[in-house]
Amino acid sequence: MTDTHMSNVAHSAPRRKTRIHWRLLGDHLILSAGALLMLLPVLLTLFTATHDNLFIHKEGVQFWFGDQGRANFSRAMFEKGGFTQNVDGVKMLMNSLILGIGFAVGKIVISMMAAYAIVYFRFRFGLVAFWIIFTTLLLPLEVRILPSYEVVQSLGLVNSYTGLILPLVASATGTFYFRQFFRSVPEELLEAARIDGAGPFKFFVDILFPLSRTMVAAIFIIMFVYGWNQYLWPTLMTTDESLFTLVRGVKQIMQVWVGSSYIPDYGVAMALAIIAMLPPVAIVIFFQNWFVKGLTESDK
Amino acid sequence: MKRVQFSRPLFPYLLLIPQLSIILVFFYWPAAEAIRSSFYLEDPFGFGSTFVGLDNYRDVVTGSEYAKIARFTLLFTALVAFFSLSIALLLAVKADTVLKGAKSYRILLMWVYAIAPPVAGLMGILLFDQRLGPITHLAALFGWDLKLGVDYFDTAAAMVICSVWIQIPINFIFFLAGLQSVPRSVREAALIDNPNGLSRFFSVTFPLLAPTAFFLLIINITYALFDTFGIIDLLQKGEPGNNPMTLVYKVFIDGFRGNDLGGSSAQSVILMILVAGLTVFQFRYMERRVHYN
Amino acid sequence: MANVTLNTVRKTYPNGYKAVQGADFKIQDGEFIVLVGPSGCGKSTLLRMIAGLEDVTEGEISIGGTVVNDLDPARRDIAMVFQNYALYPHMTVRKNMAYGLKNQRMSKDEIDTRIAEAAKTLRLDEYLERKPGQLSGGQRQRVAMGRAIVRDPKVFLFDEPLSNLDAKLRTQLRAELKALHKRLDGTFVYVTHDQVEAMSLADRIIIMSAGQIEQIGSPMDLYLRPVSRFVADFIGSPSMNILDGVVEADQRSVRLGNDSVLQLEHPLDARPGTLLDVGLRPEHLMAVAPEQAQLNLTVDFVEQLGADTVVHGKLSDNVDPLALRLTGVHSIAPGEILSLACAGDTLHLFDRTTGRRLN
Repeated sequence: MTDTHMSNVAHSAPRRKTRIHWRLLGDHLILSAGALLMLLPVLLTLFTATHDNLFIHKEGVQFWFGDQGRANFSRAMFEKGGFTQNVDGVKMLMNSLILGIGFAVGKIVISMMAAYAIVYFRFRFGLVAFWIIFTTLLLPLEVRILPSYEVVQSLGLVNSYTGLILPLVASATGTFYFRQFFRSVPEELLEAARIDGAGPFKFFVDILFPLSRTMVAAIFIIMFVYGWNQYLWPTLMTTDESLFTLVRGVKQIMQVWVGSSYIPDYGVAMALAIIAMLPPVAIVIFFQNWFVKGLTESDK
Repeated sequence: MKRVQFSRPLFPYLLLIPQLSIILVFFYWPAAEAIRSSFYLEDPFGFGSTFVGLDNYRDVVTGSEYAKIARFTLLFTALVAFFSLSIALLLAVKADTVLKGAKSYRILLMWVYAIAPPVAGLMGILLFDQRLGPITHLAALFGWDLKLGVDYFDTAAAMVICSVWIQIPINFIFFLAGLQSVPRSVREAALIDNPNGLSRFFSVTFPLLAPTAFFLLIINITYALFDTFGIIDLLQKGEPGNNPMTLVYKVFIDGFRGNDLGGSSAQSVILMILVAGLTVFQFRYMERRVHYN
Repeated sequence: MANVTLNTVRKTYPNGYKAVQGADFKIQDGEFIVLVGPSGCGKSTLLRMIAGLEDVTEGEISIGGTVVNDLDPARRDIAMVFQNYALYPHMTVRKNMAYGLKNQRMSKDEIDTRIAEAAKTLRLDEYLERKPGQLSGGQRQRVAMGRAIVRDPKVFLFDEPLSNLDAKLRTQLRAELKALHKRLDGTFVYVTHDQVEAMSLADRIIIMSAGQIEQIGSPMDLYLRPVSRFVADFIGSPSMNILDGVVEADQRSVRLGNDSVLQLEHPLDARPGTLLDVGLRPEHLMAVAPEQAQLNLTVDFVEQLGADTVVHGKLSDNVDPLALRLTGVHSIAPGEILSLACAGDTLHLFDRTTGRRLN
């Protein structure tokens, strides 16, 4: 009995091992294919951006680097009037940064204040305020786009950073995240702080904010990417090219390209696309841990 | 909220003023405006408007074009949600099992999250281009003459592909987090109880993942309805004419290109009701989940 | 140091729930008081009202002769140690201890002196620059105590401070706490649900049930003369046996459910026929020769604990379980019949309907 058992083990061990090997290989193949699927479109765009327009026009999308990379990218960054008449890439980059950072900071400041009031204070219209704020989660900007445009227009805020940023801040996502987070902070900390003589302001500055730092960083990243990537609202809100963001500029690129009767400026177009995605991609990659944590722990 | 709270007479109101005033001006006012103007017919030359009751709604709902767009939206949403969820799930399960390179795979599969939909649309235009695009060339090998922006079906296919591509990362992140939160002991118990990997996945892991999957389903539906705007806008190359579009896109087209304020508003209100319903459903489900966990 | 007086204090929550219904007692200066009772009995609410973390619905609380009902927690000159320690996770041990003092605008030198002293007392010197996350449970508990000590408060409040620790550490910290009380000579108010903790720590115990104070007294008062069936059942381990009984005609004896009759020391002030709960502590039952037997126990199972032997069984003609605690090792088998006797002055008699003590 013991003998047969032993020999069984001896027989099956190597076979099991090879099977596991094959399965592991399969797993890696699938994952590599997935990674390639994600990477390839961007790589092809990048490769194509380093070639001469005429060459691209003749040969199609390119599968390796060419020698026009520097020329195309510097034109995309510094030449006015490639696709847009009055702005270069640097200006659009600045506008994108203003939108991304302004949106993220505004959202964090405003929503932290509101969430602090809702979670940590007992006051008469607390529940009313809660509902007024959280109803906004029901309706994304896209469904009320036209009246929003009219409101901003009647306030004279078209073609201004304020008109660009503030309406985007008018949703409760940030408040919701911070409310969830504040509620998960142990109650005893507030009690201990009160015994230690901390009032509402001190408690926030000395204890709650330091505790929220990771959360703030994570939300900043998420909101920055969200703000940077805004398209519809900037498209409506900015007709003045000096306010164009990179993502807004993409539409201009497409229109010039599609409407063109000459050979379009493929190289510069693709270079601009790469520039438009670079900052948010870099942030997500560098701060991936915070970003994933913020996303998965606050969204639920 | 908390057992112990501060009670100061003024402080909380001061904290709430910025958020509330922004919401009132940029949310409630426009929303109310949308509802109001959905009952009016705007004079095309801007000379006032007339109250028409539910006429705008009737015109919208009975229009044959609206029904066609609604059908497309439904199909588009279903396809985008299905493909992006299932591809992401497959990748997450695999990324969860391999030990070597797990971190590299994670980053390689999630970075696309940061790319804006219209930028993805621009890349789509390049890759599906009739002359230049490798995907068009590939399709031609199979005898498919792909015409982006001209052929209804081809444009729709490109929209779905681009939308799926950009949505895979977020689904992947959530699925992976969900898988990693399945307790080790549960997996080990399942490993002892069930020798078959696939059936083990569907009988133990997947049910534990169901809350994540449900949450993601809602997220994906909202995504397909709203956030694909940039992709659609780009891939149509500025000519909505015969091309497929979603309901949200039509609100925009009618409002800004067609100057049909009443009709656009009525569509907005219909969408508001749809989205509000979806969100309430999601919240109720989430509340329940919170309680039972 | 100060005394604490509660004058008919009540707490009713907005939803109508009455958490504390009339607490009326005085804690002496330097006394170690333990509030004990099952969960939900109102003991924590009472403590939190003394701390100022809950409003007082009715009545008055004074500390050191001053009514503190409307004072902020920080102005009551108290310190509190929480069950989950409530240390600020982003601050070092030193900063945790210093935070309250800084808010009082104490000078830096004074703060440093106090922290150094407390750290020495609690053997925390090495850990002052660490954060709570890098400490063990026992160490965190010490930091929480340190944070209380440095304030040099009139009253120390403890909310189940040991219940998150393992049994061995709990015993150790219990001894340290007792020593600390002696050294600081402060007024301690301590909440726990663990009767052993209460017995070993308290000068006086306040035992609560369902928002009411059941009894206030020294640990031995509560053990020897519990005023109610609830107190009798709560104090002592294994808990007291409760048997059905009835007052006999002579008012000097009680008849149990199986017709055994137990004699009392003193006549009972209750009408013959009054229904009783008869309480017998397991350690007060004696194994005797069969001819002296007052009760016969059929053994179900035996727990050998080394120092003690606990025998579980049933009385003949009775379904009520009965436990018996014998000192030392005894070999007793299930199914055996033991002859038992008890002294009349160890009987606890309670009115079956009111649960109040009768003898």
